[in-house]
Amino acid sequence: MKWTKFGSTAAIYLVLLLGALLTLGPFLLSILTAFKTREQFAQQSALSWPDPFTVENFAQLLTGPAQFGRAIVITVLAAMLILVGQLICSILAAYAFARVDFPGRQVLFWVYLSTLMIPPVVLVVPLYLMMTEAGLRNSFWSLVLPFAFASPYAIFLLREYFRGIPQELIDAARLDGANTLDVLVEIVVPLSRPIIATLTLITIVSHWNSFMWPLVVTTGTEWRVVTVATASLQSQFNGNWTLVMAATTLALVPLLVLFLLFQRSFVRSITIAGSA
Amino acid sequence: MFSRGSLRRRSAITGYALLAPSLFGVVCFLLLPVLVVLWLSFQSWDLIGPITFVGLDNYRSVLSDGVFGNSLLVTLIFVLLVVPIQTLIGLGAATLLTRSLPGSAWFRTIYVLPWICAPLALGVVWKWILAPTDGALNTLLGQRVEWLSDPTLALPAVAAVVIWTNVGYVTLFFMAGLLNIPGQILEAARIDGAGAVKMFWHIKLPLLRPTMFFVLVTTVISAFQVFDQVYALTQGGPARSTDLVAARIYYEAFDAFDLGRAAVMAVVLLVILVVITLAQQLYFRRRVTYEMD
Repeated sequence: MKWTKFGSTAAIYLVLLLGALLTLGPFLLSILTAFKTREQFAQQSALSWPDPFTVENFAQLLTGPAQFGRAIVITVLAAMLILVGQLICSILAAYAFARVDFPGRQVLFWVYLSTLMIPPVVLVVPLYLMMTEAGLRNSFWSLVLPFAFASPYAIFLLREYFRGIPQELIDAARLDGANTLDVLVEIVVPLSRPIIATLTLITIVSHWNSFMWPLVVTTGTEWRVVTVATASLQSQFNGNWTLVMAATTLALVPLLVLFLLFQRSFVRSITIAGSA
Repeated sequence: MFSRGSLRRRSAITGYALLAPSLFGVVCFLLLPVLVVLWLSFQSWDLIGPITFVGLDNYRSVLSDGVFGNSLLVTLIFVLLVVPIQTLIGLGAATLLTRSLPGSAWFRTIYVLPWICAPLALGVVWKWILAPTDGALNTLLGQRVEWLSDPTLALPAVAAVVIWTNVGYVTLFFMAGLLNIPGQILEAARIDGAGAVKMFWHIKLPLLRPTMFFVLVTTVISAFQVFDQVYALTQGGPARSTDLVAARIYYEAFDAFDLGRAAVMAVVLLVILVVITLAQQLYFRRRVTYEMD
């Protein structure tokens, strides 16, 4: 009995380890290859250790015509602006839906919620037309504007959270003469840190990773984001895999680090994100 | 101090003032684009020339030439490949990970990694791994397999990459579902002499039905919109064997420069996904007790 239990535990670990290996393999291969020379890549097995260990690929990416450094800066800036815009607009709207009585509140909330059904892929073509008409195609703002005002999804999550804040706290502040903005800044936002942290992670991840819209709306290297730069490297230097893997490593590693730092809130944010 | 009417008016003004920025966003970047794509589906536009009204021409052309039909069929096969397989693997992994063996948390973390990363970048990594001559997989196997350029292998290969990306996400939900099952129920079944297999089939699986339904619906919806991996791995080829709907919309618009046809396809995709979502909502409305945490 004891032995079969031991055996089944060992079997479970074996399966789990195999799964972990399959999951981590591509990441490790990408990182290993990024530190190899082209010669070593051509001559030795894909699984070989980098020898000599070189950062030449990264140097070429960041300083060469691919302008990968610029792409990283633009991606970070766009994600930050989207994050700040979304948080401010969503907090204001969520507070209105949670705590302010105004005509049409229910209807508008349902309109907001119903937009969650619209698949992003469907929006790409009409947004492209709108950005073209507005003269904003291939500009930094075309990356930011469509997402910077609000996320109905964030509003939904924040509203749920705000409804849990005791009304007495708000009333007490009101009696002390606080206006709506004071209440938001001094009471609601500080009490909602966990959900705001969650939304911050979701927003950063989804805009660092976003690809189709930036691919469509930008041309050339000027406003290229990291994913688009990676894709264009692949088609431009097809076969120069050490360089391309340096690009994928730069695209993947920041999020891996972020994930390992904030593991707990990440896992929670994925389950929250999915169940809304 | 204030009359009731003026208080109500103040509160209405506050409400709309707070709502104004997000309302601008929702109207301009979510609702308006839906109207624009509907309108565009009746126009002809090649990105450069003028936009002209063509009535139902785009609909006739999209529905008659077979390219879009092929795309829908490929997408359907893709969804039928991806969703059941990743659900099974996710369910299996979750069952193993909720046995509270030491190290489970680490495995869970590792399995989720692909889900939070850029699908495009992962697609490019897999493009190399599956490359015919210098790819990692063929080097390991010691033979040349045309994973991405053989029309019979390409779709399963793209599906495998997408499954690999999603499994951790599915696992998380099944773990949450399994941990939500009240301990007393499992204890009672154990006392009644249920073994591990019986317990799984007759107790856990039926209690997981809401989680199962949720996972199936969300993953079907996301599988219908896969683009990045197709762009990185196959660009829809070979012989349109991986021409998923999202990729077709992109290539129709920005490769063939036929925005009208792309708009028609987008409208069809919108209708399909809205119907799936509404069906899910109806189902959930009937199950108010279900809560995910």
